[in-house]
Amino acid sequence: MTDIIDHYVDQYIADSARTSASLPDWLCAQKESAISQFKESGFPTLKDEDWRYTSLKSVVSKFFEVKVDETSGSADLSEFLISELDSYRMVFIDGRFSQQHSNLPDAVTGGDITALGSMTTAEFEHAPQALTQDQTTKHGFSALNVAFSSDGYVIQVADNTKLDKPVEILFVSLSENTAALPRNVIQMGNYSQAELIERHVSKNGLSALNNSTCQVDIAEGGKLDYYLVETMSNSATQVTSLNAELAKDSTFSCRTLTLGGGLVRNNLTVSLNQPGAHCDMLGLYSIAGKQHVDNHTNVIHAAPHCTSNELYKGVLDQRSRAVFHGRIKVEQDAQKTDAVQSNNNLLLSANAEIDTKPQLEIYADDVKCAHGATVGQIDETSLFYLRSRGIDETDARSLLTFAFVNDVMEQVEVEALRESLSTELAARLIDENVSLSVS
Amino acid sequence: MLSIKNLHASIDGKRILNGINLEVGTGEVHAIMGPNGSGKSTLASVLAGRDNYEVTEGNVIYKDQDLLEMEPEIRAREGVFLAFQYPVEIPGVTNMYLLKAAINAVKKHQGQDELDAREFLKLIKEKAAMVEMKQEFLYRSVNEGFSGGEKKRNEILQMALLEPYLSILDETDSGLDIDALKIVAKGVNLIRSEQRSMVLVTHYQRLLDYIVPDYVHVLAGGKIIRSGGKELALELEEKGYGWIDELAAA
Ligand SMILES: Nc1ncnc2c1ncn2[C@@H]1O[C@H](COP(=O)(O)OP(=O)(O)OP(=O)(O)O)[C@@H](O)[C@H]1O
Ligand SMILES: [Mg+2]
Repeated sequence: MTDIIDHYVDQYIADSARTSASLPDWLCAQKESAISQFKESGFPTLKDEDWRYTSLKSVVSKFFEVKVDETSGSADLSEFLISELDSYRMVFIDGRFSQQHSNLPDAVTGGDITALGSMTTAEFEHAPQALTQDQTTKHGFSALNVAFSSDGYVIQVADNTKLDKPVEILFVSLSENTAALPRNVIQMGNYSQAELIERHVSKNGLSALNNSTCQVDIAEGGKLDYYLVETMSNSATQVTSLNAELAKDSTFSCRTLTLGGGLVRNNLTVSLNQPGAHCDMLGLYSIAGKQHVDNHTNVIHAAPHCTSNELYKGVLDQRSRAVFHGRIKVEQDAQKTDAVQSNNNLLLSANAEIDTKPQLEIYADDVKCAHGATVGQIDETSLFYLRSRGIDETDARSLLTFAFVNDVMEQVEVEALRESLSTELAARLIDENVSLSVS
Repeated sequence: MLSIKNLHASIDGKRILNGINLEVGTGEVHAIMGPNGSGKSTLASVLAGRDNYEVTEGNVIYKDQDLLEMEPEIRAREGVFLAFQYPVEIPGVTNMYLLKAAINAVKKHQGQDELDAREFLKLIKEKAAMVEMKQEFLYRSVNEGFSGGEKKRNEILQMALLEPYLSILDETDSGLDIDALKIVAKGVNLIRSEQRSMVLVTHYQRLLDYIVPDYVHVLAGGKIIRSGGKELALELEEKGYGWIDELAAA
């Protein structure tokens, strides 16, 4: 473990020597404190309660390089683009912003969209609170991320404005053995509204680590539709840590859609801090082979009259494994809380495995809290019904699998994204069927 | 059309069909009656290809082919249709999608051109009107939240669309009010023809008032214990199932 810690600390020291002179003091202080924490804790292990179902061997046994220089502009990224998606697009390659591949007008009405790695002194002076006050939940990964603070998106939406197009952030991993550490920030003003689509992709067969953090602050009445779309190749590792703070009457809709990645861990923490705040958390994971997806969600009801609605659905084939751990904490003052959580899983293979665990901690007495988890197989009666109408078995199985995730898919409101996800899901399901029948 | 010889079937080792013999000629309508639990639905399921039943003896020939050797989807494409006693709800799959996938699977198999979206829409609207089904039902998930009668009507819609050669209707009349019953009968009579055969499983004479069968069979204890013309149904209605027990004992 010390070896791997030193590996990153050495890179940190070299990187700081180069960059710290141009960074504001508060940021240097954040970085220093984060690296000390990383030095102390290292990466989590199976002994940590929150990580006991997810082995990080693949992360701690590889010495990934953190990319510090500017990225080359020549790469062809067309295979990663969703052509029908009309968006303001920021592209990061191996964790570094690429102006050239991005599609940003000089000014976006009501929006301030920049990259952390290229912020000027003036921009730092107007940096959002979500950046200046680091509230990232700390474990080894997020500590390492904040220590580098190398790049990432910094988005502010002004009061009373609605962005006219979705903002799409595309994180592409292209270089073998690199660690991308994007540190992202979204600050939503009073009664502002935006859609944000964060996509993670990688070159096929690439061994890479994508370790991102995202701090979301939503002011009174603000509304953020946030999509986290994970379709990296199955040799890549992705760890995401998101922390959202919700003020009065604000809404955070978070959809986590995981189709790719060999090892994926999502840590989502949402704090409902003032009355009337609402969050929807939807999740979909559809995995096969030896993929491992671990969703940890943590919803904190800290004020009265807040609502949260959480639905995660998973499809597991072959030897894949998923973990769902959903914690809901209702603090003493949070009367009239209404919190719902469910996690439903469809196992397509006897070798797939799911660990699902709700964790409710309720300290208020006048609350509504419901949770439930299910694990099931394709319903044989439905399968027979479809076949008796002439639909062949393979198609009938895919159809029923699609039907299972349909209610989550329907809530992907950006049509071009929904279409692209459906296509990718179908392709993956069919691939799996083919490979199954061959083996 | 269909020839069933000495068919025995069991489930989980429990014997349910004990030597069924039945010949259904082309263009004929056969009614099968019999007490609860006598094996009527089991027979229907075995014919449609449900694989949790084990056929232990006997054989079934459909249009000169060994029916029992065929996968359920192949049977459907070859023109066998089962209207389920308890149609299945499939949340997340729209009726429209199922209907289109079904008709095109059949067409493709029979070497005909598949329907494009427009042709299909035209056809399905026509058929829906025929069974007096509101179009909103087409866009809902298959049978989800449908009333008992609506589910049965949906089965008839599928039948009307697919125009099967052999239709097996398992108690499609049960639980229907008189108007719905007439609609179902209308659907059946519309596709009734010299090329098509039907097997109607029913408990009630009232269906047979609208769809007059050529033959009536009584199934009890997994066997056909009596066959006759349409008057057998009337006799049964009059004398009740107690009469059957006597027949079975004899
Ligand atoms: N999965 C099963 N396991 C055990 N027994 C079964 C199973 N399925 C059906 N049976 C039994 O097989 C027998 C025949 O059932 P079937 O559904 O064919 O009767 P039916 O004639 O259609 O009755 P009904 O008029 O009530 O519809 C019944 O006794 C039933 O309990
Ligand atoms: Mg029955």
